[in-house]
Amino acid sequence: MLEGILEILIKTVVILGIPLGALPIIIHVERRGAGFIQRRLGPNRVGPFGLLQPLADVAKFMFKEEVHPTHVRPFFYSLAPLVALTVALLPLACIPIMAPLEINGRTIYPEVFRSDMGIFYAFAVSALGSYGILLGGWASNNKFSMLGALRACAQMVSYELSLSTSIVAMIFLYGTNDIHLMVAAQTGYWFGFLPKWGFFIQPLAAMLFLVGIFAESNRLPFDLAEGESEIVAGYHLEYSSMKFAIFFMAEYIHMIALSALFIILFFGGYSILPGLDLIPQSPIITPILQMGSLIFKIAFMIWFFVWVRWTLPRFRYDQLMDIGWQRLLPLGIINLIATVLITYFRNQ
Amino acid sequence: MEFLSFVIFLIIATVLGVVLMLISNFLGQKKKIVRTNDVYESGVNPVGSATRQYDIKFYLTAILFLLFDVEIVFLLPWALAYNNTQNTGFMVAGFVFFMVVLLVGYIFVINSKSLKWEE
Repeated sequence: MLEGILEILIKTVVILGIPLGALPIIIHVERRGAGFIQRRLGPNRVGPFGLLQPLADVAKFMFKEEVHPTHVRPFFYSLAPLVALTVALLPLACIPIMAPLEINGRTIYPEVFRSDMGIFYAFAVSALGSYGILLGGWASNNKFSMLGALRACAQMVSYELSLSTSIVAMIFLYGTNDIHLMVAAQTGYWFGFLPKWGFFIQPLAAMLFLVGIFAESNRLPFDLAEGESEIVAGYHLEYSSMKFAIFFMAEYIHMIALSALFIILFFGGYSILPGLDLIPQSPIITPILQMGSLIFKIAFMIWFFVWVRWTLPRFRYDQLMDIGWQRLLPLGIINLIATVLITYFRNQ
Repeated sequence: MEFLSFVIFLIIATVLGVVLMLISNFLGQKKKIVRTNDVYESGVNPVGSATRQYDIKFYLTAILFLLFDVEIVFLLPWALAYNNTQNTGFMVAGFVFFMVVLLVGYIFVINSKSLKWEE
């Protein structure tokens, strides 16, 4: 029992530590990437290549004045950042970073929350993300905040529909909810060179899912919740110091978690990248390679987020809702029906 | 044991959030001026309350989301059960009927213009 609790604690610290430790690096990559794409320098003064800039920013946030405006609803105003961060961290609990380990005849699962309903759990808790935003916007009692929160929620729920249809299609094809079995189904090659990733059997579902995670994490081109030119900063307008930083962190962690789910469903999760599996496998090397592959894939997704952010302009709000409801949702439903019918008639 | 691991994770995540939120309470500066606690609306004095009326479209979107999301959530256990049954023809017939009902509802919603944001 005590041993079990110790195991859970160690896993929790590792699973929370990796994304939180990577946050400053991600923010740095985002800012330097922006500089690179826009042909300017970006932050390069603090430390070598500006690498210490994120730490300086964190220190600045900590020493800023904590402003509690008089017009807010105090309890919910303080609750909102907490809800946003906690809910963003929760999906990480079920994401495995490597295959189950066999040590002394015991199977040790790498994820904290081991469940054969892993995918259900992950999407259930990541859909709660809109509560932190709505609570923050409403409790701020400010017109800009309220508008930002309403926009964010309407957008998140609209894109969740097309996202869910692509999940149904993938669960139907894999026939399982267990993340380890999904990854196992994507290990290996077709014709000897094409990895058996879900992306190659369901490219349309992958595209719907990709658009969905951009909208869910409120990133450009779907960042109407924060549209600076229209509503200043949206739902976190009245927040200052660490409370603002927490909303910021929650957005990035949400991005990491959703990228990880995208990779599990469509790019083989922790299955080893093509090329790296030529290295002779052993019980020590394989988990390291699996972890490295997953982190590489997530890092590429994060770079993709940054890349898209500085390439595409923002949508107009009516365009956004039209794309979500009148383009993506019918596409998702048709894709699902086609998948089911083709699978059924092929097996007859 | 699985549930316990979830509870421990939840507690640690919450404690982390609370600690982060309290840091700037202790470290931050505490010099308040008259204007510090005012509403921020681009420097202009606020007009009216923030809890005014908003567009009905937001409400309609939420309601329609509930309808469609419940229908899609029904499909998740269906997709799992399909792979554990022999009688696949029956399962697919039920699925097609369900999707036809869903599509009729969808076409009705689009025709009723409740999701049309531009006038």
